[in-house]
Amino acid sequence: MLNPDEMPRRLGAFLTARAGQDATVVSYKPMIGGYSRLMARADIRWKDGRTETVVLRGDPPPGKAMMETDRDVEWALLQSLTQASSIPMAKALHYDGTGSELGTKCIVLEFVEGSSLQALLNTCDPAQGYGRHTFDLVDTMARVHRIDPNDVGSAIPRPTDWSSYIDTLIDRFRQAEAAHVESNPFLRYVAGWLQANKPAPLPLRLVHSDFQPANIMVDPSGDHLMIDWELAHIGDPREDIGYYAVYSASSGPSLIMSDPVAFLARYREQTGFSEEAVNLATLGYFSSLAAITVYAQVLGGAGAMARGLNAGILTTYTLNALTVGHSNFMAGCIPPAA
Amino acid sequence: MLTRPTTEQILLDLRDELLTTVDGAVESPPVKIAIQMMENVLRNCAERAAHEIAWMREEGDAMVAFAREVDQTLPGNSAVDSALGAFNSGRSESLHLDDVSATYSLAGHCFSAALEHAVAQNHVALHLKARSILDLRLEHENRIKGEWAFVGRA
Repeated sequence: MLNPDEMPRRLGAFLTARAGQDATVVSYKPMIGGYSRLMARADIRWKDGRTETVVLRGDPPPGKAMMETDRDVEWALLQSLTQASSIPMAKALHYDGTGSELGTKCIVLEFVEGSSLQALLNTCDPAQGYGRHTFDLVDTMARVHRIDPNDVGSAIPRPTDWSSYIDTLIDRFRQAEAAHVESNPFLRYVAGWLQANKPAPLPLRLVHSDFQPANIMVDPSGDHLMIDWELAHIGDPREDIGYYAVYSASSGPSLIMSDPVAFLARYREQTGFSEEAVNLATLGYFSSLAAITVYAQVLGGAGAMARGLNAGILTTYTLNALTVGHSNFMAGCIPPAA
Repeated sequence: MLTRPTTEQILLDLRDELLTTVDGAVESPPVKIAIQMMENVLRNCAERAAHEIAWMREEGDAMVAFAREVDQTLPGNSAVDSALGAFNSGRSESLHLDDVSATYSLAGHCFSAALEHAVAQNHVALHLKARSILDLRLEHENRIKGEWAFVGRA
């Protein structure tokens, strides 16, 4: 994937070896919109006359990734979810786990007709509202959180209990600060606040961890398919609500902040979770807590650049996401009354 | 040395050149997105170049003053004492950017330790004072960030 000119030949050989018939790549185009991984779309013509479109998702060259995640883990998770049919998603088809065939570790996925929910939202007139999209988004989030954690098997780690899991998550703020090249008082402040203000627990579930409309494909019938599972883990489902609130505040439209009460009521209805656990206060709490997963990745990229180990426009461009994170930390950590 | 045009002006001029000359000649969607990102980073760098030393000094002074106030009001915390000791022995008056940044980081460690101690002791006035210092830093970060959203995410 690192050299698009070579990819038609490489991909053709890769698919031929797996399908038992010759595959010819008739077009290969890098895709835009992915921040963490290289993406491309390829049209295939099989020897038996069938045609097929696939999507490739591979690692950037060493030192050029804005975040480091493990393709082996993502592939195992995608396989588990595909086999369990837990949620509509682009099927995981093949994997080059060594990079020897496609030039980098690369997952080959089924192509989904349609467009992203973000693209659809961008065409809406804010004055007219977003129609069915709001509740569709809530329902898709709830559907992710209704997945039986057993469906993912041993693909990703399974925390033992909610309390120790939350403690581990909070500690990631301190770890991120300790590992960084300079002090960051926001992280130690928010860690202390989160520790002192833990909400009521919920059952641990599959958390997408980058839940936002650019990662939801909408097919021609209007159904949603989740993509980009690289940060998924077993955790507190409210992480996705908080993350979405944070993300959409800076890259709108925000389908939650226009009417958070209605959003959360629909979510409770779809998941069966209680109002004690899902309310405006826990939305604020998890808006701070959930951001750490992506925040720590971006901060790690910044630290690597400062140490001369990373480079690239994605790393420098996403530094601003850290400031967005700081704003949300401060908004989520309610100060004491004077 | 030549100081005019300032670094800020030069970077903003580069940004204009990128948008008016380069962007129009490019058709590749991935490259056009990279140009949008570069435009943003150049704006960030221009704002930093204009203010970062002054802002680091301003915030650093406020953070260390806070840590000293906590040390006087709630004495005996080893983390605060240790951070202040490291600051006193490691600080630099040099205005070279690396030196200012290193001193700012030492000040940040003092502030973090003092803030954690004040919050743990439920000292509301110090807690609120610390938040005003975090707000000052955030105000500076937001000025550097300017208008920003994830470009190309659709």
